Amino acid sequence: MKKLLVTLMLSVITPAAFAVTTIKAEVNGMVCAFCAKGIEKKLNALPQKQSAFVDLKSRVVALQLKEGQDVSNDAFSKVIEDAGYSISKLERVNQTVDAIQAEIAKAEKAGK
Amino acid sequence: MFKQHHVAPFAISMGTLLLSQIALTAHAAALMGFEDSAMLMTEIGRYNQEWMLNYSPTFGHAIGVEQMRMSGKGERATTISGINYTGIIKRWNLPAAQANIWFNGSIGEARGQYDGFAYTPSLQFDIESTRLYFLAKARMIRAPHMNYDTAAVQAGFSFYETGFNETQPWFVIEAKTMRNNDPGLQVTPALRLINKNYFLEFGVTNPWQGEGFAPRLNAMFVF
Repeated sequence: MKKLLVTLMLSVITPAAFAVTTIKAEVNGMVCAFCAKGIEKKLNALPQKQSAFVDLKSRVVALQLKEGQDVSNDAFSKVIEDAGYSISKLERVNQTVDAIQAEIAKAEKAGK
Repeated sequence: MFKQHHVAPFAISMGTLLLSQIALTAHAAALMGFEDSAMLMTEIGRYNQEWMLNYSPTFGHAIGVEQMRMSGKGERATTISGINYTGIIKRWNLPAAQANIWFNGSIGEARGQYDGFAYTPSLQFDIESTRLYFLAKARMIRAPHMNYDTAAVQAGFSFYETGFNETQPWFVIEAKTMRNNDPGLQVTPALRLINKNYFLEFGVTNPWQGEGFAPRLNAMFVF
């Protein structure tokens, strides 16, 4: 009975967890917060945005999408390029922005 | 570089508060904001003050207004008011650095010691990482019988890396020459604070003591 309950709970929770879509990019040239503010401003203006994250040290820009909504890779790339930067790597991950942030913080801490 | 408009009174009063002599270097890496943004830049110096307000309709181009006020040895001040264009000639986005070549210039009217049509074309090269910074710039500042051409180099380093939402302190030193100015070579060590919302720089230009003591303020805001 316990196993059945756990299975039922997981079946409810798992799709929600997998529903998280975040566009994660490594950006070249992003060395100054004052100059990179445009990226954050443009991402925050997207109606599909659940959460956005910019990190200078790791050169990562991440955009977590609202459930059921999407931004094409081209549209995301245009935001970065219109701000004056270029993308060296772009991927879609099933991680929240918070999780990516924590992962980067952990890696930086380990690197120190 | 940096200029001013109705913000002139604000910039001037800030300079006055800080002392009456500020030699601003308005040479920051960024001469414009991002697409659909406005940027305000001020440069206040003992012999010259500037402010500029520009708007970027698209990445790489900005138009705006600029006012510069300067005076040479024993001269009355001359004020140049004009329209300004800033453009990126070339940008290199590297994995851990960025480099740019910029054009910036105004055309307008000079009034004061010199009067008439004025023009101020300039070229700037800069390269920076999250820890190191270098800039070189040359600018013509001309009107009939007037020549305040300038050349400047800057180099600096940040004390440590910071996150996107934190303020990063830098040490920057600048060497600058301006025709008809005294001292002919102005050296300014400065503390620069960079945040995603502002760029502030406080420095002191040589001579660093006595009557020539000349603190300087440089500020930029993007919105």
